[in-house]
Amino acid sequence: MSVPRGAIHAKWIVGKVIGTKMQKTAKVRVTRLVLDPYLLKFFNKRKTYFAHDPLQQCVVGDIVLLRALPERRSKHVKHELAEIVFKVGNVIDPITGKPCAGTRFLENLSDSENLTEADTTYLSEKLQELKVCSTDK
Amino acid sequence: MPMKGRLPVRRTLQYLSQGDVVFKSSVKVMTVNYNTAGELSEGARKFVFFNIPQIQYKNPWVQIMLFRNMTPSPFLRFYLDNGEQVLVDVEDKTNKEITEHVKKILGKSKETLEKEEGERKKLSHPATFGPKKYHLRECMCEIEGQAPCPAFVPLPKEMRGKYKAAMKNEA
Repeated sequence: MSVPRGAIHAKWIVGKVIGTKMQKTAKVRVTRLVLDPYLLKFFNKRKTYFAHDPLQQCVVGDIVLLRALPERRSKHVKHELAEIVFKVGNVIDPITGKPCAGTRFLENLSDSENLTEADTTYLSEKLQELKVCSTDK
Repeated sequence: MPMKGRLPVRRTLQYLSQGDVVFKSSVKVMTVNYNTAGELSEGARKFVFFNIPQIQYKNPWVQIMLFRNMTPSPFLRFYLDNGEQVLVDVEDKTNKEITEHVKKILGKSKETLEKEEGERKKLSHPATFGPKKYHLRECMCEIEGQAPCPAFVPLPKEMRGKYKAAMKNEA
């Protein structure tokens, strides 16, 4: 019944997980930019792939990197999970290595334990300026 | 009647073919993370606006994904065939610098591109005639200075096969 098929075309792809209801399989949506022949503009074209995820560590919304399997695992599953690039709700900025959310870092970047005396006096002075004084009526 | 959109020159074939970044065959995926606001991400935004169409036009088999406002710092990430990942920090860089850097690290060099162009030219002979898909011209009548196409201008009597055959039969 199994016909010898050619090698899988997409060797490495990056996509977003849209479903994990299947056991040990993640449904991943991959978007590529395709040129419209008349408008000459690039639009996202989506395609869903099924990826083998043995530890079921994917959650809906993760950005994952898939690797093509040497041969198909089943009729639709031709890829496996290589790496979770960005975990939803727990994005780590690869440049600094710190957790972040949107355009701000979640943890304090400056090290507040190693402040010197001069720093603390300077900061307390600044805080004094910011204190709101009650106006006498 | 002008074209629609902001800077529709980006949607012309001439602009698209002017892109000079052709990735090496090992590059499979390119991911761009940038922010829609902020001075540091300005170069990345310009890169996405101006240069991404050119790059995708020249590399139709590379998957390009754009992520907005996911991390505070803008960066590019390339996934190569051997599993290697290349991280390029583009904070505080102009879009020209970004394209130059990407061309230097992962682009095919000019010599390789010229060599490939030469190989492609060798396959097709420019002096043959035939269907537009495989040859430059379809018929000799297309060339200036040659006899016009008999579909539009009838050939003189002496050149027609009918007349020549009749002459031969008489003689």
